[in-house]
Amino acid sequence: MAAPSGGSSWNPVEVHKHHEQRTVCHTRPKYREGRRPKAVKVYTINLESRFLLVQGVPAIGVMTELVQLFALYGAIEEYRVLDEYPAEEFTEVYLIKFQRLQSAKVAKRNLDERSFYGGLLHVCYAPENETVEDTRQKLQERRRFVARIMRNKARESDQTEDDKSKIPRTQNVSEITLCEKKKWKDTSQEEEESLNASYLSSYPFLPPPPQEDVYRPSSFSEQASSSSSFVLKGYQRNMQPAEDNMGSTYHFVDTGNNEPLPSKVLQSPHGNPASSNQQRKISHPTTRFIPRTTHLENRKRKIEEACQDALLGIVEKSETLIGPKLPQPPKMDMEDASLNITANLIRSTMAKVSSVPEYKPAEKKATTPKPRRRI
Amino acid sequence: MSSGRSRFPGPDRFEYLQALVTEFQDTDSTDAKEQVLANLANFSYDPGNMEDLRTLQVTELFLDMLTEESENLVEFGIGGLCNLSVDPACRDQILESDGIALVTGCLSSRREETVLSAIGTLMNLARGAGPRAGSSPRERLTDPAVLQCMLRFSLSHSTRLRNLACVFLQDCCTPAQVERAQRQLQDCTQTALGIPLPQD
Repeated sequence: MAAPSGGSSWNPVEVHKHHEQRTVCHTRPKYREGRRPKAVKVYTINLESRFLLVQGVPAIGVMTELVQLFALYGAIEEYRVLDEYPAEEFTEVYLIKFQRLQSAKVAKRNLDERSFYGGLLHVCYAPENETVEDTRQKLQERRRFVARIMRNKARESDQTEDDKSKIPRTQNVSEITLCEKKKWKDTSQEEEESLNASYLSSYPFLPPPPQEDVYRPSSFSEQASSSSSFVLKGYQRNMQPAEDNMGSTYHFVDTGNNEPLPSKVLQSPHGNPASSNQQRKISHPTTRFIPRTTHLENRKRKIEEACQDALLGIVEKSETLIGPKLPQPPKMDMEDASLNITANLIRSTMAKVSSVPEYKPAEKKATTPKPRRRI
Repeated sequence: MSSGRSRFPGPDRFEYLQALVTEFQDTDSTDAKEQVLANLANFSYDPGNMEDLRTLQVTELFLDMLTEESENLVEFGIGGLCNLSVDPACRDQILESDGIALVTGCLSSRREETVLSAIGTLMNLARGAGPRAGSSPRERLTDPAVLQCMLRFSLSHSTRLRNLACVFLQDCCTPAQVERAQRQLQDCTQTALGIPLPQD
């Protein structure tokens, strides 16, 4: 008698001991009580599965609703009613196969003991429906997951040590992107074991994300004339890919691209090479996450600075503006400080008033008596 | 996953686990013992806890449970080992304290869950013994007796047992080893028939 090596996944409908709901343990001391009452049971990877057995579904034709409910936790590969499975009266038993083990885990945790159309669902794993290959993949996934967590943990502790010795910021960032890339890679169902470190090192490093940078130092714009502003525009066009913040840093090659730039500035007759060079050097390693609003505010501040320069008599018409402005109502300049303050006060009051929802129409409707119809 | 870890910051969690271990060692109530052991075994599932559990020598605690009379304690103990042994450091700890013999002993348990956990643990241990192939732990893992056991499991009525045994035979042993074990099994079919398979 040879064992069915493949093991068709939907054939046997048997009642297994692990399908039973164990009695909840009530004798735990307070400090060991969890958020939900639970039985005394140990879960291992052997018990977990992409297959879930759902008992206690009211037999009122709610299959679609049930599947929709479970699909909230991940893609479902297959599902079916188990007619042969011994069920309580007026209930049905379903078998649901998720695409990923993680989805099944979350679904089980959240939907077990959930009431559903008047019935109480009992959800449990059904690993007896797996094939040999399913089992193998499940074990591999678990090993990979643990290895990844351990590696991240090790890196975390490494980093806290490294932070003390001040590691350059950019390296951290590239490490994080690398780690994210790896996560994605791991979650995709790849067969290869990615446990060895050589994999880590063989992965190409991504260029650091675009830097929020002062590419237009004020000293530079002070000197700006029509010719140097042309250089400036060229510079900006050069930096365009870096400015593109919406995930397409793809084209942005590396900081190596920036190297010829100082020389370009040097060539420009009106530029202030020394100071701009310095500024670049200072601003170089500051690659860090800036929230979008801060980003916009920074930009606004820079523009305002430029405007101040303009007030001092230096007019730069070619000021290019990239990206949206901070959302704000249009302001009118009253050309007087006290008038401006008054206008601002009125504006803020108006904003406050307009943000309060109006009750009046509803009240009116409630108070005005309905005209009686005469018979 | 990571949010779950950040909910219990390091020191608190370690103290909690330590309290569990202490209670386990101090209590006389079998109920409490089982509950705490199950708790520890389930905590072993989370990679975030493995380091702490290793420090608290919970691997030793689990190994001790394998020789208990209570089937529940054995089941929870081997379940915990199955969870913990994924971590290389814990795995080495088990190998160093001669866990293989104790774990293979669980293969003849009457409880399916215990047998499954034992196979899972052996698979994890085999992975650890890999680089030192030829060393004694590796040999003991692919001991003919263990392989014969797996071969018989691979004919089992239970799908889970069958699947796991197949994965073990395919991934942790060489085809030559399997073939030899198969021949040995055929040679002494009469004697092997007497060994009961796990219940349910």
